[in-house]
Amino acid sequence: MKRTPHLTAGIISVIILVAGMFGFNFYAESLESKYINALAPLDIQQARNGSALQRAAIQQPDLLPVYGSSEITMVDTNYQANIFFRDYPTGFAVIDVANLGMSSITMAQNLVALGPALKGRKVVISITPAPFTMGALSEQYYAGNYTRLHAYELIFSPYLSLDVKSAAAKRMLDFPSTLQADPFLKLTLSALNKPSLLTRAFYFIAWPFGELQTIVMNLQDHAAVLAYLNSHSLSPDVQHQPQTIDWNSTLAAASAEQKQHTLNNQYGVEDTKWKNYEPLLSKPIVPGSGDKRFIRDVQSAREWDDLKILLSVLQELDAQPLILSRPMNVHLWEALGVSEQAQNNFYTKLHEVTAPYDVQVIDYREYGTDIYFSIDQAAHTSRKGWVYVDQTLDDFYHDRLR
Amino acid sequence: MWIKRLTTFITTAYANPTTKTILLTLYYLAIIAGLIIMYGKGDFSTPKFIYQGF
Repeated sequence: MKRTPHLTAGIISVIILVAGMFGFNFYAESLESKYINALAPLDIQQARNGSALQRAAIQQPDLLPVYGSSEITMVDTNYQANIFFRDYPTGFAVIDVANLGMSSITMAQNLVALGPALKGRKVVISITPAPFTMGALSEQYYAGNYTRLHAYELIFSPYLSLDVKSAAAKRMLDFPSTLQADPFLKLTLSALNKPSLLTRAFYFIAWPFGELQTIVMNLQDHAAVLAYLNSHSLSPDVQHQPQTIDWNSTLAAASAEQKQHTLNNQYGVEDTKWKNYEPLLSKPIVPGSGDKRFIRDVQSAREWDDLKILLSVLQELDAQPLILSRPMNVHLWEALGVSEQAQNNFYTKLHEVTAPYDVQVIDYREYGTDIYFSIDQAAHTSRKGWVYVDQTLDDFYHDRLR
Repeated sequence: MWIKRLTTFITTAYANPTTKTILLTLYYLAIIAGLIIMYGKGDFSTPKFIYQGF
């Protein structure tokens, strides 16, 4: 101590710092766990962009996390699962991790961050035919849902195989704007993308630094959640109001409500969205004229590769997922020139891609001809559609799904 | 006047190895705390975009 006072002081400081980090982490996790049920129905940005609240939610037995995109957030209705189940009518509530334009690769990044906490836990992956049938994921959407924390969690995860990380890295390099400010991550992604002895060595040298950065970002995430809790007066006590849901009457009420929002067209398109379709449908369209292009789009959609990455993540982390798709809006697509037979390519490909992963898949194909299930061509869920979804979620949570 | 007293106190205390280590530890912890305050806040914001469907 006499000869090396700086070294001794430095070591003591580091020990105090590490102990402080552990203490803070423990304190934050206990608060997050205490408040997660109260936070679940709120649309908190930190729940999507961080991992702390998602981790707290997945460990809560009476919460069912639903990951998804615009089909979750588009229609503001009380039938939306997160609101419908907010009083725990059948013993659970839903927490959404969803945002407009959120894709399979973003969901994969979010879920990897949960690590071993995912093991054996039920999680719902909500998808729609849109990204598989109507065009590629734009960089704008990806960037709008991208966070460094989730990217690091995926790339430096100790729980994922190198194959999955390499596949994800390849995809993440397709969106260079998200990597501009992070040359270290970009370099690591490039190394993973080109497997060789040298790049593998680089990855393993980079790994501790990436992991350290991930730890720091996780602490920052906790700090952001604590700041939120500090600035909002929330009670951790959530009332459970058990009740028996009469699904038939709920469906009838939702259906009647939906019809009131689709008064200006015969396709069940939401009134506010009809202006997008009216010009297209005012001209005669030859039935089946869009089949060829549709089939080509479905077969070549990059989103299938992203879905495979997501399914691999779920498989390697041993989760119990439900893939909850939405039906093709059959009559609207037919009016736009795509026959029902061609539309069925989506279901065929969906089951072809998901089959090797042995996951439960619901595609609602039987409701494809119900014009009130979706509000538009992209199969955004309507009020009526939400009742079917709610019923499925209830069955999934209570192990009644076959 | 108080600066002179403080300087004398630190100089005297610094002569003792144990006190020196304690003061150095506090000094390092203050630096770490400063760094955490300056750079510790994470940025979890995402760029805004207009959703126009697929």
